[in-house]
Amino acid sequence: MSEATQTAPEQRRPHETGGEPLISVRGLGVRYGDRKVLEDVDLDIYKGETMVILGPSGCGKSTLLRHLEGLAKPSVGTVHVSGTDIGTASNDELLRVRRLMGVSFQSAAMFNSMTVGDNVALPLREHTDLAESTILLMTKMKLQQVGLSGVEDLYPTQLSGGMRKRASLARALALDPEILFFDEPSAGLDPIIAAGIDELILRLKEAFRMTIIVVTHEMESAFRIADRMCMLDQGTVLAVGTSEEILTHTHPRIRQFVQRIPDRHDESAHSYITGF
Amino acid sequence: MSLVASVGRATIRQVEYVGLLAIQFWHGLRLSLRVNPFAGRRLRWKRALEQMAEIGVRSLPVLCVVSGATGMIMALQSGAELRKFGAMDAIINLVGTSMTRELGPLIAAIVVIGRSGSAISAEVATMVVTEEVDALRAMALDPLDFVLVPKYLAMLVTMPCVTVMGVFSGILAGGVFAHFTLDITLLMYLQRTVEILLMRDILSGLVKALVFGSIIVHVGCLEGFLVTGGPEGVGRSTTSAVVKSIFLVILADLLCTAFFYFFWR
Repeated sequence: MSEATQTAPEQRRPHETGGEPLISVRGLGVRYGDRKVLEDVDLDIYKGETMVILGPSGCGKSTLLRHLEGLAKPSVGTVHVSGTDIGTASNDELLRVRRLMGVSFQSAAMFNSMTVGDNVALPLREHTDLAESTILLMTKMKLQQVGLSGVEDLYPTQLSGGMRKRASLARALALDPEILFFDEPSAGLDPIIAAGIDELILRLKEAFRMTIIVVTHEMESAFRIADRMCMLDQGTVLAVGTSEEILTHTHPRIRQFVQRIPDRHDESAHSYITGF
Repeated sequence: MSLVASVGRATIRQVEYVGLLAIQFWHGLRLSLRVNPFAGRRLRWKRALEQMAEIGVRSLPVLCVVSGATGMIMALQSGAELRKFGAMDAIINLVGTSMTRELGPLIAAIVVIGRSGSAISAEVATMVVTEEVDALRAMALDPLDFVLVPKYLAMLVTMPCVTVMGVFSGILAGGVFAHFTLDITLLMYLQRTVEILLMRDILSGLVKALVFGSIIVHVGCLEGFLVTGGPEGVGRSTTSAVVKSIFLVILADLLCTAFFYFFWR
């Protein structure tokens, strides 16, 4: 952990410049039946910053991400992305917002019936009038950007998990998005490849000044890439702050998460293990 | 009270399903009509062509065998009765009209449900489970436009074609039976069939083929989109797509037949 704290702080972080937030969530609440998934979530994400949404499994991270991506409409509260209210936006407005975004899904979500090259070229073919030769060239470049070359003609099932994830990132980058979403970038990957993906995110941040939103429960990776973090637990935001602020936060649940302490007096966990 | 409540709940669910189907049908039709084969949108047509091969060409062998067998069964069963009245040559009318108007489209639909309806729902459900549908939406692409439209276009083109092939093999099989029992050549049998059949019979069969094709694609896709749970949900949605498609196809067959009986004599 000590290594992570040494990440050099930038001179002036995006959230300190006092501009309008690019994404703004107010009072967001989500229920599935009787179960509260998110409750009264407030969050601002500024242009050019890397926001990591952290929290234990089932805390509502992925649901929050779906709302930020505009894939789900909020029933309670509001989500504004680049000035557009997702809840009341028309279809055309939603399409405009979505074209600002690139999303890399947890399961990579590559289309298995198409080659990797066609997958990456898909947004270009659908949304631009570029010539086929230009599209092929751009596809090659995007794949090179994520460290994959010569895989254009392979099918996604022929790639390893890490390669698939990088290919899905190449697809997300195809239209040069302003906002990049990353759902569990290192889930199911070995530590070396996971570290490689962290590097990739840092490089994208440096090179393109993208706004990057990452959902993860990997603390090390989170502290490496984050400008700010949002700590979720049981559907509520416990804290939003820089890595240092989260590291030194006094909330018991955050301390527990940061220091990897298991739930001690959780009867359900106990009965699960003992079988009673 | 609980009985009333559960009946009510089930009714609401079914009405909701029909509503969803209608909405999807409307959007699918609108999007399909927008696809212009001569301008851009190459990808849709490329995918539609692939689907045509899958739905049409590859289902032909099974379909021809099943339709042929049905034509033969029709001839055998009716022959057994008609023999008593010495009206054996009515077999030609019976097999010809019932295959064209009724059994041809219905059997084609059932074979296509088994092969393609289940495959469509499995494919769409897998796409939902593996977040591919979310990925499409996140790329500002309409899943209906991308997933349903190529299949729908393919179905609208191929379903009448395979129906015609099925009807033909059914009539041909009837002809083989007639050849051995009626002492007429196959050519004569076919000539008689052509004389007997009205344009109305053929058109009503083709209209049914289009209606059945629409039902198969839309139910398959909707069941796929409505999948819940992980991979085991895919199996459930496939089963339910097949059951609902067969049910709705037969219901639609009844409505079509009644319509033709009363309004198109």
